[in-house]
Amino acid sequence: MSTRWYPIYQKGNPQLRVFLPNFWMKLVKPNVDQPKNVVQFITSVQMTNHDIKNYLEKIYKIPVVKVDTSIVQGEFKKQPDKGYVIKDDDYKRALVTLPRGAEFEFPEIFSKEVKDKEDETLTKHRKELRKGYVEFTAKCKKRPGVPGWFGL
Amino acid sequence: MFLKRILRSVPVIRDASLRSNDFSRNKQILSAKARTQCQYSTQITPKEEPSEVKPTEHEHNAKLSAEITKQLMQFFDEKDNWGAQRVRVGRAWKKEELRIKSSTDLHKLWYVLLKEKNMLFTMEHECKAEMRVLPNPDRIDKVLESMYNLEEVVRERNKAYHLLETGETGERPFKIVFNKLGLRSFYKLWEHIVPKELHEKWKNHIFSYSHNETKNFLKLYREKLWVKKRRSKLQERRYIFQLFKRFPNVDKEYLKELYPDQDIEKLRQSKLTASHLQQKAN
Repeated sequence: MSTRWYPIYQKGNPQLRVFLPNFWMKLVKPNVDQPKNVVQFITSVQMTNHDIKNYLEKIYKIPVVKVDTSIVQGEFKKQPDKGYVIKDDDYKRALVTLPRGAEFEFPEIFSKEVKDKEDETLTKHRKELRKGYVEFTAKCKKRPGVPGWFGL
Repeated sequence: MFLKRILRSVPVIRDASLRSNDFSRNKQILSAKARTQCQYSTQITPKEEPSEVKPTEHEHNAKLSAEITKQLMQFFDEKDNWGAQRVRVGRAWKKEELRIKSSTDLHKLWYVLLKEKNMLFTMEHECKAEMRVLPNPDRIDKVLESMYNLEEVVRERNKAYHLLETGETGERPFKIVFNKLGLRSFYKLWEHIVPKELHEKWKNHIFSYSHNETKNFLKLYREKLWVKKRRSKLQERRYIFQLFKRFPNVDKEYLKELYPDQDIEKLRQSKLTASHLQQKAN
């Protein structure tokens, strides 16, 4: 049934199977230093440890030794300028242990070169803005108190 | 040549007990018998098979981690798109396109989409952490839309199958019941192992209302709804008057279509539809 509602399981019945799983997982940088064979995921809250293991082994073909999960509470904070309290969504954090000897290093997606390149363009743009501002203010220097649009 | 000569020199004993079928089975016996008569050894030393070189632990680990990283890199975008300003992609899958596909194809496509979704979520998270902008965030919407469409198509097929086989849609059944406030609500049904007469928790379900407070609340609530309805109707009426006033030749049939609750012919004859000049003249 595609309504995501499964018939009740009774002993002896055929095993219930999920044909179109709608769970999601995202691979994140571990917030605390971990051994090299441990990978951190953020998953949908409904997933159990068993689900996570099956998901990785069946869909991604990754051997898994152990799964540790915890539900992390979303952050409470005040809405700026409004004063009422808002809260981020809760999420499930999963630490997955790969077999002994396996290593995974989180890739550096934004390398220094890319960052420098972007920063260069930004500084260029900023300089141009600054230049225009200085030119504009230089006109108004001799007539203080008069708005900028006054002289053409 | 040498081998041939040897073989010729070997007098093969034809035992009555040895049949041609048993030849292969009794090879060892035969060769043993032959060897006793022969001065040369006919046995050819078997070639030593190269024994499998066991990989060292370091090599094994390197291979394992290479495999795992290859699989885990599916959670990330292609390397060309890292730090790109723009990623060119197509549109989402439409329902009409998915209806043509076979169920196995849809099943495969679902997993492709699922992996794509995971990849985009990972990249989005990483971009946020690095204070960067995700290139083309509309990709996420497209994937979600196509997943929704796919599920709908599968659901259609399911419904059709169930209707054909059982005469029911196969959807989750529901009932419309009254809650404690006296308002109608959807009550989703589900299967139980224990029948409801024997179930203790079933007694806690209340699908009726009897208190005077509830009745009073309902009276006021309905009045509120009715006032709202009346207000909107009056507003419509006023608007139609204005229309007749400003555009005396307005299409009545079209107005009847737009406002089926209003009696347009009656409103047209009202004094309020006349323009202010006409009103003065009268």
